[in-house]
Amino acid sequence: MVGAFEQALLAAMIFVIMLGMGASLTPRDFWLALKRPQGLMIGVVSQYGFMPFIGFIMAVTLDLPEPIAIGLLIVSCMPGGTTSNIFTYFSKGNLALSVLMTVTSTIFGVVLIPVVLLIYASALDLTIPRENIIATLVVLLIPVAIGMTLRKLNANIGAVTEFMGSALALFFIAFIAVSWVPRNWQFLLDTTPATYFAAIMLGVFGIAIGYIFARILRLHPRNARTVALETGIQNAPLAIAIIALTFAGSEQQGIIAVGALYSLFIVITSTIVTLIFRRANTAAEQKLPDSLL
Amino acid sequence: MEDAARPWRAFYGPHVRPEIEAASHRTLPDLIGGVAETYRSAPAFTCVLPNGMNGTLSFAQVDEMSDALAIYLREVAGLGAGDRVAVQMPNALGFPVAAFAVFKAGCVLVNVNPLYTAEEMARQFEDAEPHALIIIDMFADKVPMATRGHPIPNIIVTRVAEFFPSMPRGIVGLVQRYWDKSVAPIELPHIRLPDAISAGRAHRARDHVEVSDYGAHLEPDDVAVLQYTGGTTGVSKGAMLTHANLIVNMEQTFELIEGLEKGKEIALTALPLYHIFAFTVNLLGFWALGGRNLLIPNPRPLSNLRRAFENYRITWMSGVNTLFNGLSNETWFLDTPPRHLKFASAGGMALQAAVAERWEGITGKPLLQGYGLTETAPVLTFNPLGKTRAGSIGVPVPSTEIACLDEAGHPVPQGEAGEIAARGPQVMKGYWRRPDETAKVMRGDWFLTGDIGVMDADGYIRIVDRKKDMVVVSGFNVYPNEIEDCLVTHPGVLEAAVIGVPDAASGEAVKAFVVARDTGLTQADIRAHCKEHLTAYKIPKTVEFRDALPKSNVGKILRKDLRAAELAQTAAE
Repeated sequence: MVGAFEQALLAAMIFVIMLGMGASLTPRDFWLALKRPQGLMIGVVSQYGFMPFIGFIMAVTLDLPEPIAIGLLIVSCMPGGTTSNIFTYFSKGNLALSVLMTVTSTIFGVVLIPVVLLIYASALDLTIPRENIIATLVVLLIPVAIGMTLRKLNANIGAVTEFMGSALALFFIAFIAVSWVPRNWQFLLDTTPATYFAAIMLGVFGIAIGYIFARILRLHPRNARTVALETGIQNAPLAIAIIALTFAGSEQQGIIAVGALYSLFIVITSTIVTLIFRRANTAAEQKLPDSLL
Repeated sequence: MEDAARPWRAFYGPHVRPEIEAASHRTLPDLIGGVAETYRSAPAFTCVLPNGMNGTLSFAQVDEMSDALAIYLREVAGLGAGDRVAVQMPNALGFPVAAFAVFKAGCVLVNVNPLYTAEEMARQFEDAEPHALIIIDMFADKVPMATRGHPIPNIIVTRVAEFFPSMPRGIVGLVQRYWDKSVAPIELPHIRLPDAISAGRAHRARDHVEVSDYGAHLEPDDVAVLQYTGGTTGVSKGAMLTHANLIVNMEQTFELIEGLEKGKEIALTALPLYHIFAFTVNLLGFWALGGRNLLIPNPRPLSNLRRAFENYRITWMSGVNTLFNGLSNETWFLDTPPRHLKFASAGGMALQAAVAERWEGITGKPLLQGYGLTETAPVLTFNPLGKTRAGSIGVPVPSTEIACLDEAGHPVPQGEAGEIAARGPQVMKGYWRRPDETAKVMRGDWFLTGDIGVMDADGYIRIVDRKKDMVVVSGFNVYPNEIEDCLVTHPGVLEAAVIGVPDAASGEAVKAFVVARDTGLTQADIRAHCKEHLTAYKIPKTVEFRDALPKSNVGKILRKDLRAAELAQTAAE
């Protein structure tokens, strides 16, 4: 669906974006998130406990063709990806927590993805491409580390990098949404309402349940918003890679479709959620008297 | 008075000079140049924006630029010694350059609140009659309105990211223009601050002008700053602070601020420099100490301070109750309290004991309260390090006498309440062109503060009341007369009275009592009307509509009755 050049371009863009995200962080942010690991643990439970369950319920209750149901289950079992970090950044969430959640859910995924699939899809025999998992971590952690170092060396270079990275991220989000539609026009026309529902609501339910779960466990609203985005936003490219490696022919086409459709709608859903979260963040800000101080 | 009458000296540390016999420098230009010689290339000021973008000037750079700007003011703009120069900007790198240039040019600095409305600016300009205005571009759109009656011949425009490296400066400029839309085109003829500095440099090279010539005739007793304040009647007037007032007060304060090392400190300056507390203590005090000053243009919301706390090892900060209280409620601040802070100083408004306690719990470092007024440059008392007393404004700083007087002007017996009067080298020369107003607050060489205090046997002072009707909103003085004058210009308002009421966030808040001409008038109407004419902090937070206001026999509105009723009601709740 995407050519090698486009893939390289996207990878480069994500690298620069994550460089900017990293420049907004300090080692102390990570230390704090690690010092209070509840958020992290809640994230892993939410990621591998709720999401596959949501996927399973929809696969069973909705009238979906079998390839679509399989694709839905696979996407719902994925860890979080860089996209969730970007949206966490824009929603003024806890970016260090988001990055750590992505890292843990990705590493845990090696073991947990087969386990949850065993539970929900009765031993659907999938090939988990370790190189893709490693690539996910590299593309995430190396630029973040470089970004943090840049900021440490020179606050101005850090701030400029962050500015550029976030500007590119906005472009990236718009680019994904806008370029996707014409490339998949026929596919959009052929897709049934039930499939649409599943692809859209997987993200919506994931974000909503992640948020409610985190709030029930009394996480700070900022961390709850982070868990919500991290839960709802899956690493769809990883799902697509797994499907491409495991299945072939028309079966592959059908299963991959859910991943592609999800990728489009999660960007739209997350943008709306981010705007809501930003507003909530502003509303929660302290109201200082009108004098300068 | 004898030494016996100054029991507070027992609380001075072993290195504190009880009397400042002679100030370290005669005039501010001497001080500025002398300090720059010592610390040359060390960073003096770093302006930190909310996203972490920053610009830094060294001691030598500030010295050289302010030299050049002083030459511009005198040679190009044609100002003479003693001419007033208004400076109107938030904390930014242009501020120290502009303020120091004014002193070096032998001129008088007029600090103007950048958030003032055009009307408020006009009133101050009419009184001070500045020959030049150095203003931030964000607020320059108010200048045509503010100077309609009294044009200011020279206008110099600066910006928030002035003297930043080109990349962040460019980004900030683009964001301000196209995203925030906070910079409007400037209609009046003007020159940009860097261009004015360049013009001054060119002049220096060509005509071999010596900046020191401008300051040669300055005397310690010459006026350096006109610091505007409302006073009892609310008539805005400029307190004439001399070179000696400012230098001595900075030294008096730093005598008691022990534990800071020359050339090693990093101060957070989130309070605005146009306010006398930050001006004397942060700007002048940390310059003299060879410290690095982190200038925060806008501390609201408080998350704007986060990058400054993350990126710099802040060792000292000043603030008002509101700031310390606000920071104590920010999650990020609780998560990562500053690790290198030695202590913090509070002034401007009463520091609440609960706030101080909470702050000290979070940072593990003391929060010391001081007290002073615009008219006293400003510091009169401070709590000595390690000997703080909750709820007290501390003990008099060196070379300062404090007495509590009765109505007749005699000292009250120890332990009884009286009006706080102060005598010392920091007391202003008087109000600018208002001898009548000066006479009201001076009794011989004693300055009457209008605050009612009690002095303990050992010299610690507590404020118990205020004689004036003034309201202090988060460190800013609000004068009821000014607000009432504004209220009655609304066609729907028959009569109005304004008082201060206790407020959890700002210490005190402005409350208006209004007798309406028509019944349809709402609080929102009143506030909207005020917003057109007054700075935000002066706008009544609440408006209560009444059928009548309490009045004396001669028809004077009794604010004290309204205040008493209000306090009784609060107590009942």
